[in-house]
Amino acid sequence: MGEDEGSITLLCLTASSGVPLFCRSRGTPSKHQLPFSVIGSLNGVHMFGANLDVLLAATCTANTRVAWRVFHNSITLIVLSSEEGASDFTLGRLLDNAFSTMVLILGLEELVNVRNIERLKKDLRACYKLIDSFLGPLEKTGDLTQCVECVPVPHGPVLQECLEAFAGAAESRFGCLLAGGRLALATDPWWQLAPQELLLLTWLVGVLPPHTTRDYPVYLPHGSPTVPHRLLTCQLLPGLEVCLLCGPSPGLPTVESELVPRFWKPLLEPLQACVRPPPPGAVLPPGVLAFLLVNGEQRSSLSSVQPPGSRGEAPLQEPFQAGFPHRAQHCYVVSATHKAYAIHAPQHQLFLLLAPNVPTFALRPLATRALQRLTEDAAC
Amino acid sequence: MAREPAARQEGEVAGGGDSSSESGSCSASCSGDSDELEPEWLNSVQKNGELFYLELSEDEGETLLQDSSSEVSAVNHVRFRENEAEVIQEGSQKERKYEPRLKKFTKIFKKKNLLPKQSGKKGTGGGNGHSSGPTSILKHQSTQKGGVTIQQRYKDVCVYVNPKRLPNAGAGEKVKLLEALVGIVHQSSWSSRKAGDQNRNNKGNNEEKLVVHGLVPGSSAIKTGQILIGDALIAVNDVDVNAENIERVLSCIPGPMQVTLTFETSVFEHEGTSQQRYKQAQSIMNNLVKLLWGEDNMDLQLAIQGMPHIVMYLTLKLDSETSKDEQEILYHYPISEASQKLKSVRGIFLTLCDMLENVTGAHIISSSLFLCGKLVQVVYCKESDKLLVIGLPAESVPLSQLRNMITDVVRTLRFMYGSLDSAFCQVENISCLDHFFNLFFQRAIQPARLNSNASPSVQQYDNCSALLLDNLPAVRWLTLPEEIKMEIDTALSDLEAVDFAELSEDYYDMRRLYIILGSCLFYKGYLIGNHLPKEDLIDIALYSRHYCLLPLAAEQRIGQLVIWREVFPHHHLEPSEASDVTVYREPEARYFLLIVGLRHFMLCVLLEAGGCTSKAIGNPGPDCIYVDQVKATILHLEGVESSIEERLESPSVPCLSCADWFLPASRDKLESFTAPPILSKLQNKIATSPTSKRTLFSDSSLRTRKPSPSRNSGGSDNGSEGPEEGGGLNPLATLDQVQKHERKESQGSRGSEGSGSLFKVNKKKQILPNPFHLGNLKKSLSEKDMELCNAIKLTSGPENTLFHYISLETMQGIFITPTHKEVQQLSGSIHPQLIKNFHRCCLSIRSIFQQTIMKEKKKNSDSGSNSESRKASSDFNLVREHGVLFECSPDNWIDQKKTPPTMAYWVVGRLFLHPKPREFYVCFHDSVTEVAVELAFKLSFGLAT
Repeated sequence: MGEDEGSITLLCLTASSGVPLFCRSRGTPSKHQLPFSVIGSLNGVHMFGANLDVLLAATCTANTRVAWRVFHNSITLIVLSSEEGASDFTLGRLLDNAFSTMVLILGLEELVNVRNIERLKKDLRACYKLIDSFLGPLEKTGDLTQCVECVPVPHGPVLQECLEAFAGAAESRFGCLLAGGRLALATDPWWQLAPQELLLLTWLVGVLPPHTTRDYPVYLPHGSPTVPHRLLTCQLLPGLEVCLLCGPSPGLPTVESELVPRFWKPLLEPLQACVRPPPPGAVLPPGVLAFLLVNGEQRSSLSSVQPPGSRGEAPLQEPFQAGFPHRAQHCYVVSATHKAYAIHAPQHQLFLLLAPNVPTFALRPLATRALQRLTEDAAC
Repeated sequence: MAREPAARQEGEVAGGGDSSSESGSCSASCSGDSDELEPEWLNSVQKNGELFYLELSEDEGETLLQDSSSEVSAVNHVRFRENEAEVIQEGSQKERKYEPRLKKFTKIFKKKNLLPKQSGKKGTGGGNGHSSGPTSILKHQSTQKGGVTIQQRYKDVCVYVNPKRLPNAGAGEKVKLLEALVGIVHQSSWSSRKAGDQNRNNKGNNEEKLVVHGLVPGSSAIKTGQILIGDALIAVNDVDVNAENIERVLSCIPGPMQVTLTFETSVFEHEGTSQQRYKQAQSIMNNLVKLLWGEDNMDLQLAIQGMPHIVMYLTLKLDSETSKDEQEILYHYPISEASQKLKSVRGIFLTLCDMLENVTGAHIISSSLFLCGKLVQVVYCKESDKLLVIGLPAESVPLSQLRNMITDVVRTLRFMYGSLDSAFCQVENISCLDHFFNLFFQRAIQPARLNSNASPSVQQYDNCSALLLDNLPAVRWLTLPEEIKMEIDTALSDLEAVDFAELSEDYYDMRRLYIILGSCLFYKGYLIGNHLPKEDLIDIALYSRHYCLLPLAAEQRIGQLVIWREVFPHHHLEPSEASDVTVYREPEARYFLLIVGLRHFMLCVLLEAGGCTSKAIGNPGPDCIYVDQVKATILHLEGVESSIEERLESPSVPCLSCADWFLPASRDKLESFTAPPILSKLQNKIATSPTSKRTLFSDSSLRTRKPSPSRNSGGSDNGSEGPEEGGGLNPLATLDQVQKHERKESQGSRGSEGSGSLFKVNKKKQILPNPFHLGNLKKSLSEKDMELCNAIKLTSGPENTLFHYISLETMQGIFITPTHKEVQQLSGSIHPQLIKNFHRCCLSIRSIFQQTIMKEKKKNSDSGSNSESRKASSDFNLVREHGVLFECSPDNWIDQKKTPPTMAYWVVGRLFLHPKPREFYVCFHDSVTEVAVELAFKLSFGLAT
């Protein structure tokens, strides 16, 4: 079987009755729709095991991985993936994100106490877009790192000040500025949100239908899974949006017509610079094809892929589990076509993808220098 | 045969000290004292010809015996034979025709010994004492030792018997009721000798006792669990029985009923506690030996009882006709509560296997389950419509490792039985399989308990490396000086020629029984000589590993080990696809494995019958002549034992250093006795600045040599010294330094070669074309200065920064790693941790390499149809090299104010695919310059000879 791109299928069923709620997939059309008998037996084996106190978590065949997870005893998610880079870890993340998305949009209450399956099915349609974006090929590193992607902005302090004032005027503590689907600035409370919430909110704004302003109810999967908040977004410039999480007031019209012009109009120039920020990789030594910098404390990440067509970070499946008496600091991989280097510093993690002509012995000084430079000037 | 090899004479000495050496003049001696020459193992040969006979040398056997409580260790190898000794049936005619003749001329064995299966019945009358050969446990047991007394106890056991279910007796064959009805195996001949001994000591009556020698699997006797091997049956329903009347008594049972069997049990008791201490020291060793003997070691069993682990052989084909319980389970082990749970969810495994194969078109590999809060990994192997499932907790074995383990298990079982089906589907194999998997799980879950090493540091080394090394498709190789190698090779070749006088075809005008395909010799678990193709070597190595033979030989002086069984080496049985007419075809033959162990030596021989030799008929047992000849070869090689021992003791090339030397804390301590000034220099440099690294390079004393006239023994890969492609080095900046320094150093370091020079000479001729990045370096070197040449390597010296290494030669099926002795010498607080970490990391790196190799294979197989772009993207996963930098600091850091000093070291693995696949793993200090890292890899080419 030539699995050219690999396919991935996500199944959602009710745990108690085994009714399929939805099935999302990507990849080769022949496997687009799994026959119900397969869905049924996939769910069946898991259910059977659970009855005997044996929890089936994952299975793999020569070309496919399957992972099961039950959330709150009410929703079963099953994923089948034949992608090359898939691992139990990535599939676990995917399932977790998928369920959190459902909570984000529908609230936990509706998922745990399913009263009307047909209605739930309809409601779940709202999640499809966001969930589908997880199934796509790895474009966002957040899937892997569980850290929100950032973009460095020029004139940071000025904009930060303005953002704080804007959020305060809107009676909210949570505000952020998104540039091109990445986080440019955020108030401190926004950073206090759970990393997964940060991720999902950022992605949600990205997949919602384009409008200049939106008022969207969201549940925070970790912060308030049962009480909805309002997510207000206003487009300041094309590709640049300001978001607020707030309670019942203020109304969207107030924010749109009063607050936005008041706070953001004077800063048009710095904002324009935000839309097209200079690529942060400019400072890096030649030979670096891509990098990913993760701030372990803030759970934020900065990444860049320079040459088009490169596949981004290597799907390194480092099976580093417990059992190592000593701590790993640096790590490198040389493959036939690329080289990769990783540094685990106390605060940051840096992953570099390098051209194969960079000599192996030069990787380490190069990576150390890159880390130094990036941490010096990056906002992350 | 005019030739009179020395080996043969020694063989005869071993055989029993027969004086005459000319094979023709035998008739006189063959009748007289031949009883003395009867090998001890003859009686342990099973009905199907298999033999597993293990006997410790005198001192070790004694201690073991004194340890064993309640159970008599001596009789335990009987567990390996499940059925009584019987006269071989049809087909033995031919054998019998010539065997007496053979016997006549070999004068070493009596007729009954040549046909071991008959000895069971015939030998009764003899009662002619025991042989004067090497002492065996058998004798220890019977002649009572001073410190041990035997207490007799009685116990009653109720069993259910049903004479109506007796199998139909074959024509002319007498059914032994004791065995068929109750399930107790008793061998009259065997005990008769023993009884004779006992009679002398005890009462002196002539009735032979019905000692339980074995239990029939699935019988009512084994089901009670109370009848132990070694018990003596004295009464049935209060009727006294002995060997004479038992059949009569049992035949009186009219129908299905419960009968009460009364047994006499022997209990050994220690008289004093003086041996207590000794016992402690020996107990670990005993675990292994007991396991090998198939004893039910409750201690070991209990320890892993709580661990969910299971092996099952399931069938996907359901036969609704048979109304057997759990008919889809063809075999499972063990029967414990934790495993019961895994057994109960077998439906999951069957369903998944079937369904996922249909959906994805690929076979199932593994599953992860949570069971009682523990992650359990399950791996599968499907053969036609049967499914082998092995489950182990993830904390014991990582998944990638478990996948290797099931491959090994399947390979070993196929080697032993031909196919999984024939292994699992035959009832008589079950007890063997139980034993097999008992060993398997013990090894997987608690390797520490099986390791028999005296020294704790070595034991620790064993433990942490076991997981990795036990699963390498290779054998630990010991490099030896050329002369010793020559001697070993000559001895092995002599053996393989099979032209010892007794077997001369011309002489007896008949075909010999077997030809020897090849042999391999182990010393203390190290492979020191191999004349087998790689596939066969791996097969045999896996077999020996499963039965823990290698560690056994490493620590204990084996009195005698004889293993004989028919094997199915897939290398011979399944020829490659290219079935041309011109290609050599393997003859239709049967293969036998003979392993003989003596002291620390173990010689494995692969025999072929039916090719150019006579066809093997039935289930031939081990042939005494071959066994003796192998033994003679070992004895012949005993002369080199001291030189091998010397090699094991001597520091290796390359030298290793201890991690603790690199920490300032231990430096002061160290300087007092070893005073390594360079070390302190080194540390200063590390402390001062990173730029001083370059100068450090000089400390690592690089040395180059003039090219020795390279007489490349392989002759294959020479001459391609031309420019090689590699992403590699352009270290011109450092090269000047290197060169300058090399000139300086070459004088000084030559002196430090010391005793290792032999090996270096050995290495020099193995200069291979360099397949990796170093190619550039070499090229530029040779351009600049023709004097500088091929063999650059890290040399020995106290400033050495190499901690550990493993070099895996996939092609030859061997790996090289520092010996136990070397590791033992490098004790410290950090170093053992480092070693452990190294092995753990190698495990991870290796699993990545395995993926690479797999992908490489896949790519090669369907390379024709692929587009370029796709290739490029998949190349991304083809990992060639992987390195991890670790940092550590001493555990017991007392000084609270200062931060503990840290030491950083690299663990680097590299995969070479050309010219031949090999893997190399090194662990070295952070201060090594990058160029030196390349040199470390260069080492790998010197290691293998």
